[in-house]
Amino acid sequence: MLIEQIGPHRQPLLRQRYTGAGAECRVGRDLGCDIVVDDEHAAPQHAVLTLLEDGRVSVRDLGARNATRVDGKLVPADTGVIVEQGEVIVGRTRLRLRTRHTPIGPERVFRRDFVRRHRTLLAAAGVSACIAYGGFLQWLNAPSSMLRGVTKATLVVFGLIALWTGLWALTTKLNHGSWQVRVHVTIASIGAAFCAWGYWVAGLVAFAAQWSVLVQIGVAVVGGAALFALYLHLRQATHYGRRMALALAGAATLVIGAIAWVIAIGVEDGDVNRVDLGPQVRLGAERVVPNRDIADYLAEVDELKRAAARERQKSLLNAPLADADD
Amino acid sequence: MDLKIARLVAVLWLYGSATGAAAAAEAPPVPAEVPVGRSPEEKAPDADTVDAATVDADIASQELSGDAKVRLDAARDAVVQIRGFFEESESSAFHGSGFAVDDGRRIVTNYHVVAQAVLYPRQYRLEYLASDGRKGPLNVLAIDVPNDLAIVAADDFELPSLKLRSEIPAQGERAWSIGFPLNLGLTITEGVANGLVENSTVQRIHYTGAINSGMSGGPALDRRGRVYGVNVSVVSGRQLVGFVVPARHIPPLLARAKQPLTQSVSAQQLRQRVTAQALAYEAEVLEARPDTAGTQTVRGYVLPTQISPHVACTTVDERSPHVRVRVETVSCSIQSRIVVQSGLNVAGLSMQHRILQSVGMHPLQFERQVNRVAAVPRRAGASAHVAPFACRDALVSLDGFDARISTCVRQYRLFAGLYDFDVTVVGIDDTQQALVSWLALQGVAFESGRRIMERYLGALQWTP
Repeated sequence: MLIEQIGPHRQPLLRQRYTGAGAECRVGRDLGCDIVVDDEHAAPQHAVLTLLEDGRVSVRDLGARNATRVDGKLVPADTGVIVEQGEVIVGRTRLRLRTRHTPIGPERVFRRDFVRRHRTLLAAAGVSACIAYGGFLQWLNAPSSMLRGVTKATLVVFGLIALWTGLWALTTKLNHGSWQVRVHVTIASIGAAFCAWGYWVAGLVAFAAQWSVLVQIGVAVVGGAALFALYLHLRQATHYGRRMALALAGAATLVIGAIAWVIAIGVEDGDVNRVDLGPQVRLGAERVVPNRDIADYLAEVDELKRAAARERQKSLLNAPLADADD
Repeated sequence: MDLKIARLVAVLWLYGSATGAAAAAEAPPVPAEVPVGRSPEEKAPDADTVDAATVDADIASQELSGDAKVRLDAARDAVVQIRGFFEESESSAFHGSGFAVDDGRRIVTNYHVVAQAVLYPRQYRLEYLASDGRKGPLNVLAIDVPNDLAIVAADDFELPSLKLRSEIPAQGERAWSIGFPLNLGLTITEGVANGLVENSTVQRIHYTGAINSGMSGGPALDRRGRVYGVNVSVVSGRQLVGFVVPARHIPPLLARAKQPLTQSVSAQQLRQRVTAQALAYEAEVLEARPDTAGTQTVRGYVLPTQISPHVACTTVDERSPHVRVRVETVSCSIQSRIVVQSGLNVAGLSMQHRILQSVGMHPLQFERQVNRVAAVPRRAGASAHVAPFACRDALVSLDGFDARISTCVRQYRLFAGLYDFDVTVVGIDDTQQALVSWLALQGVAFESGRRIMERYLGALQWTP
């Protein structure tokens, strides 16, 4: 049998192996025990694990005030239990128990080996894509000061990525003992570049198809990419399992999205002067949908009368008119 | 820019009523002794004198003294300050001026001075303050929204009345205006009447004279002491440019002024009445087809200019959004002079056509600038007055070119029959030249707005 004491992230802290029928392992705070735990909730002589002839293990409680549990279930004080594997809890210390009956799956293939092997190249590519986007925006807005613009975009991109990856690298160092800078740079920069370019392309497609939902889909894709990047960062930097990492990344994405929304749109309620012009126009671009003629469009405009009335109703509910109760 | 001025004027009107609106004051330098004593036997014999007005003495026979003091003394007792109070408050919420006409029991003032009391009859009450210190409650008897006039009366008083003159003073005639500017007490200002404002949708006499807010509703006097109009507004930011409503609009209103409005109709109906008057005016002015549909051709684009009569266009020298974008702008508008509520003008129209040309820019770069110009916010409104916009955009084939059209419509909160339209047209065919055109309608009926929009879209054209 193999007994591992495991930490909060399920990482093994201590490992001991016992062979031969009748081999016994006492657990407790007493120095005479085979596994001595530094746990104030454990008794001096807390439990004993005995390897049986058939390879299974008998777990017996030695009368501790905090009864021993196996896989969450209390161990009966008089009889004990016989198990093939499981998690034995002594006080607050967790022991993972394995025997020869425990099934062992096939080895996992290194799926992300590619990222690790080409991490320098990938990091450089991601950073370049980010700088390219910054430069592209600059070129669109102020083509006459390209050099200054690109320099500025480069500095901003470097600054942001340095800050972001610095944070993750520090977390990784604390948890794993290594910095993993290039992996984090890869995740951050490729994620950011994907979001930026993806959003731009979504706008282009939305205009071509005259389908403003596409812009919202674009936002969803960007949010998804951000979530995935955060998930990868978390998996890389911490000991969290998949579900926990996913939940944390989802929560963080929501928070970041909310902050971005507040900055972009503001929380100002009912701005009566804001108009929605629709997707940005693309001059001379290919379009998928045929144009309407004036009569069709005016028929659509007629529907605005009802929409405007709805807006008025909403506004009146929100802020009733003074002296309106006649 | 035009909108801004219109808004400023509106605000000024509002404050005119509240704090003494600047109004054009025409004070005759002639010793027009305005008879303030009320003597019913005296009937004004002049053809241009409204028969309802009575005077104490024959002004025509008086010598002209050229002294404003004479005129002020003569009119003093006929002019009152009109003050509005919020609920039980003791300090006034707004104030303006008014003067007695007819039998001395009825007072003429501006609609915008008493608008709050008309629209919110349970919240605001009106009071007059006569020159001898008497005060008492006032009731609104009749309103004329397009001409910005109102008749008010109190139960308990009779004042010496002023005589009306229905003819428009000749350009250059000396004139005086009386009122309570900025709550500083009764004041007279002297200036010159400059005839009717040209190309205006409502009749207004242009008065050049010292003008201060707070004189709204006060009488504008000619050299013989007769009232030729009612002080109504000024152009803010300009010096000595004021407007006066001609007195000829008063008698028809007097004929309608029988009993207090709030006794006969509910607040709801009053608001509907205000809306109806504004819409009747709007149908007459905005929606009317011009005799000749005016257009202007710029770089192959045929741009509608005269889509209604009274539209005035200017070619504005606008700053280009970018050194490598050339912009030609044609701005057209009908300035709204109709106030339905403090700070809320209706029946206005603005149009702006901009032709943007790229100077060797990449299409993507040019497109960026076009989007930027199209998105410049140009509308104004307060959430107290209007609901948020509802919008609809689409790609539409116009005459000779394709365009992205975005139409936004919003309804007024207090006046359910009034709408604002905001239409943005962006030409999308050409990568080196684009039309960004904008039509804004302020305070119109929905159907009317739609018809004007149809006229506007139908007129836009591109010919290579």
